[in-house]
Amino acid sequence: MPYRKGRIVKRVTATVTMPVSVTYNGNVKKLNDIADRRNGLCYRNRFMFSLFFTLCILLLFVCFQSDVDARVKGKCRDCHSMHYSYEGSEMTYGGRAGPFPELIEGGCLGCHAQNPSGDENIIEVGKARIPQVLHHMENSDLAAGNFYYVADGYNPDYSKGHNVTEISLQENPPMDVPPAFIPGVIIPGGNGPQDWPNQRQLNCAGTWGCHGDRTKDDPYEAIYGAHHTDDSEIDGSTVGKSYRFLYGITGKEHVDWEYLATIDNHNGYRGNITHDTMDTISYLCGECHAKFHPNPKLGGRKEVGQVYNSLWVRHPADIAFDSVHGGFAGSEYQAYITYSLEAPVAFKEPTGGETEVDLNSVIMCLSCHRAHASPYPDILRWDYNNMFARNGVAGTGCLTCHTRKGGPM
Amino acid sequence: MLFVLEPSRECPAMVTGDCEACHALYPGMMEEAEPGKPQQYVLKNTLCVNCHSNTDRDTIKILGGARVPVVKNVVTPSHILAGGNFYYVAKDFGDRKGHNVDAVTSTDAKFMGVPPGYVREYDPSLAGYNTEKPLTCAGSNGCHGNRNVKDPFESIMGTHHSEDTPIDGSTTAKSYRFLKNTDRVKGVLGLEDDEWNQNSSSKKHNEYSESIDLLCASCHGYFHSRDNTGKKSPWFRHPVDIALPETGEYTIYNPDVQPPNDRAGIRTYNPDAPVGREKVPGLPSDEVFPGEDLVICLSCHMAHSSPYGSILKWDYENIIAGEEGKGGCFICHTGKGE
Repeated sequence: MPYRKGRIVKRVTATVTMPVSVTYNGNVKKLNDIADRRNGLCYRNRFMFSLFFTLCILLLFVCFQSDVDARVKGKCRDCHSMHYSYEGSEMTYGGRAGPFPELIEGGCLGCHAQNPSGDENIIEVGKARIPQVLHHMENSDLAAGNFYYVADGYNPDYSKGHNVTEISLQENPPMDVPPAFIPGVIIPGGNGPQDWPNQRQLNCAGTWGCHGDRTKDDPYEAIYGAHHTDDSEIDGSTVGKSYRFLYGITGKEHVDWEYLATIDNHNGYRGNITHDTMDTISYLCGECHAKFHPNPKLGGRKEVGQVYNSLWVRHPADIAFDSVHGGFAGSEYQAYITYSLEAPVAFKEPTGGETEVDLNSVIMCLSCHRAHASPYPDILRWDYNNMFARNGVAGTGCLTCHTRKGGPM
Repeated sequence: MLFVLEPSRECPAMVTGDCEACHALYPGMMEEAEPGKPQQYVLKNTLCVNCHSNTDRDTIKILGGARVPVVKNVVTPSHILAGGNFYYVAKDFGDRKGHNVDAVTSTDAKFMGVPPGYVREYDPSLAGYNTEKPLTCAGSNGCHGNRNVKDPFESIMGTHHSEDTPIDGSTTAKSYRFLKNTDRVKGVLGLEDDEWNQNSSSKKHNEYSESIDLLCASCHGYFHSRDNTGKKSPWFRHPVDIALPETGEYTIYNPDVQPPNDRAGIRTYNPDAPVGREKVPGLPSDEVFPGEDLVICLSCHMAHSSPYGSILKWDYENIIAGEEGKGGCFICHTGKGE
């Protein structure tokens, strides 16, 4: 679940202690250096221009702040209730009674699913902007999708999403255990669970969830402190400094969780085709769905197939287009040129501003799937039942990558 | 409230001064009695408040030569004392800013006389809290005096003239601020600042112990029970009677005051968010030891009334995370303010 982050704002302070002159070629001179030109209209004009130019630059600094500081901002009381009490009564949130760990008002869903039938995908409470993982804002699902499609009470279809506790009931066997689960895989900080008991439902965080430190059973303990961590640098070293609080994962976070994202301003997903790190977004998926990931710490080649230039047993993730069967040159993947928000790719060092796709771009789980829930079965980004070879719409769905499958070959 | 008055050198435990200053505070205070029989006070419920109130802004007043801590000013108090000031609940500021004590203000309109979180089993008094009666300064429906005695006046009778050292909780007079609780529970222990924290600093202040929390829990036990607060982090409710953690953000308690270099691991006491001590020191200490000193109810709340909702020591509405805030919650939660 994409957790709340405050609006990301980098404040740039420019302090001017002495007027400066900026020449057309960009050189900057102190006025003292041009003292010999202080007489006459020519000097005054140049000085006024220089002053105007300087002020414009300062204005640019003020107006175009960029984003880094991402920790939660706002009143403590907007999220926390010290004693789960107000005016002598206990509080409930969306019909859920507490108290909730960390004194949170309503737990994870109390903040991130405040109004399931409402039409806000990002709710502002005080100074905090909170991404909603369960809402009913038309055509405005965030990057991870929308649990609305799988939430009990809203005509759910359990094939369309992860069945998270308090959103949906647990799925029936065999889907009560993560498909392709492998016991005891290596995860950041330790090992994944040695067993996934049938009665164990998915949580937002912790051992039985996606977010936070998955070596910790308690979901709140797993995510503890992350929202207040300075995560201006996403390096995966702590939960707070991990991409979307997915412990160990790196990447670039779009400030609006991809609401109104553009091809040059989107989430930046981390991929790694050498499979020697645990910081890719696909590795996170593989921690539960291990048989789908070629990393030897997960399913490895045995489960996925030969990694490079081979025929696959399962659709690969964390491989680049240049490692596909037959090679990149002359392949259909060459025609995927412009970054697609519908079928995004990962990058070795993502910036979130990549507009082009090339042989080094990395296929990932999220190229096809969303994380939470989607309108389509298998949490796909598109309706697989309407993907047609030879008659498909080019540049959509599977055909975004498999460019020669849609039209006449 | 009934706090100990100024001790004299000769007899440190007893109030000194002109008797009539307190016992004939206003005409009609004592009812006429037959010769040979003791006089009785009239309007007992207002007596405590009358002595401990002031019409001007001063929060320590002189009465017959005795220094009297003021718990209720008629006008805005200049420096509220450690317990707070009933000014904020006596005026039309709303019930949320203080305890609605009889003779100060009317019964809380929301709680209707029921202490929030009251659990009978946590109340050691024999009588228990009577929700049909108002909250009083002392007695079984109050905080001070012996809470086994229903009558507030009787529960504290004589204490002002009793030996009150050492503060060992053995008697009402020898309990911190006359907070005896009951015979089943040792009186509150602590170190009393001689100015009731009026001019408090890191080096001059009250010292508290966990026994103060037990007193609060007598009426608000639900918030003290480990079953309700949780037994470890992450907590369900803000815990009390736990050590200030010696890890994470708490290691730099009171971050605005850097302790000397030779005191590594020791932080500087802040009266705005005080800690309790396992063992009450003989003198106020400016040192705070994370991992040892305690989070207590009074770390965040005042006892009587404060300018802020929930009788907090600060305005919770204006504690804003992530914007370099200082003070308040951030004295302990140092990582949230930056």
